[in-house]
Amino acid sequence: MALLKPFSKLPCLNTANILLVESEEQFQQSLADTLVEETAFTVNVRLAKSLPLPMENEESRPRIDLVVFIINLTSELSFQSAEVSLKNLDPGYFLGKVCFMVTNARNASVPTERLDAVRKLAASLHCPMLFAEDQTPDGVTNATERLLTILKVAAGFVPMATALYLSNLTRRTAPPDIEQPSFD
Amino acid sequence: MDDSTKRLLQRLIRRIPAQTLRTTLEKWGRLTAAQQRSMDFTQPKWALSEKLLAICEENGLTAKHITELEMTNVIDNPNQGMWYAFQLMDPEDDANSIELTQFKEQFKSHLRELVRPVSIKIKKHTDEAVWIRIAWGDSFSRPNHLKPTYVVHHLQTPYVFVTSLTSKQKPLLSQALVLSARYQAIKDANLSGRKLTAIRDLLMRKYQQVFPTMYPSPLGERNQVVSNPHIEKEQAEPAANRLQMACEAFGDGTLPQLQTVVYKLETKFRDHTNKTMTEREEPFSCVVKFASTNLLESLRHCASSGIASTPVTPLLSSILQKGRNYFVITDNGSGPSTQTRQPQT
Repeated sequence: MALLKPFSKLPCLNTANILLVESEEQFQQSLADTLVEETAFTVNVRLAKSLPLPMENEESRPRIDLVVFIINLTSELSFQSAEVSLKNLDPGYFLGKVCFMVTNARNASVPTERLDAVRKLAASLHCPMLFAEDQTPDGVTNATERLLTILKVAAGFVPMATALYLSNLTRRTAPPDIEQPSFD
Repeated sequence: MDDSTKRLLQRLIRRIPAQTLRTTLEKWGRLTAAQQRSMDFTQPKWALSEKLLAICEENGLTAKHITELEMTNVIDNPNQGMWYAFQLMDPEDDANSIELTQFKEQFKSHLRELVRPVSIKIKKHTDEAVWIRIAWGDSFSRPNHLKPTYVVHHLQTPYVFVTSLTSKQKPLLSQALVLSARYQAIKDANLSGRKLTAIRDLLMRKYQQVFPTMYPSPLGERNQVVSNPHIEKEQAEPAANRLQMACEAFGDGTLPQLQTVVYKLETKFRDHTNKTMTEREEPFSCVVKFASTNLLESLRHCASSGIASTPVTPLLSSILQKGRNYFVITDNGSGPSTQTRQPQT
């Protein structure tokens, strides 16, 4: 199975391509509907349940500018599926072209270990982690706006800013250890 | 009216749901129009019950009429209580040409031969089902109207649905049914549930079945239609395959609202890390129960979203294939047959 590579294809004029990976295939649909409403440039959304992507679509698939992993914190399966999918992504993507989006973080039934595990994962890969609310249209709109901000940079529409530069500013850092001595 | 009849009426009024009380009384037809109008249905149930008691005494109604009301109520609200399905086996030559009057006479005479006294009421519903209400008595007491058994039989089919039957009454009812429906035996269909409509639809296959085909029609219509050309699903084909296999195992469209399925395992314990359990001679008995408001819908969703692996295991698909929801699984060959049906794609 070929890995998804960031720069192996030519970009299209005024077009940005985003790939949403979600094991449950729910939130990605509403996000996609809102994302394509962007008028400043054309947004193409590809939806997937997991990576690797099927070989049959290899020819018709455009260059993917941003890969978003949507993890539902109430489901362990969602997290595990995202972890497995990460392995099928070319390392070149992790220089600012991958983003994590996490839903249901406020839910009381979510074990804290899972949120910490996702945080650690995002920190170790130097990727930004966004929290989103998927049940209301407002939540979807907010999440879309934030994704579009990152997508614009990743697709090269913002002058003087590259995906790598942005990721240095927005990446998740590992939560500090409590036992570490503080310097006075 | 004597005390037992009064109690019967009071209990019945308590049981009839408040929303349907007026229509049920109208269907019963034993109240005059003036009496029906005089009942104020906004009052609490106990007040209505007293009013109705007075009206029934005025009209001189007996227990027989009260039981009619009960039967009307049960026919209109069949989804209460536990229903058990039975299947008649080995039909005689004329089993398929039984008609209603013949069945009624035969059933009443056979049951009266076996049990005396017994109160039997038979009514044919509009959808070809024969409803039978039986109040059992014995040589020491009159028929007990507080614990009646209801039986639903569809003529010309081998299926019978029963509720509230004790183990003592079961052989008597079985014999009467077998003789009057012209079959040779009756067996337990291993299907039970709270909703009569659900188990009836399941057993008589009143749901949309999907058959494996060589050239399936374009399934893009059944998946969520992505109207926007900018949105594209990468894994549309595997998703469509999963949906097809889930529908083959569980049917399409609205499914009967089955609520539980129980698997009784009598298999040997198989885990190599636990020596004490694997070395035991006797099988490890365990009961697995799945429960949901609409079990078949949930299982179909599990299969189509990939949580359950496809092709669907015969343990789950035989719920619909065999029309049962109680399975006993032993080591060599389970309750459902072990052969898998490979769908052609």
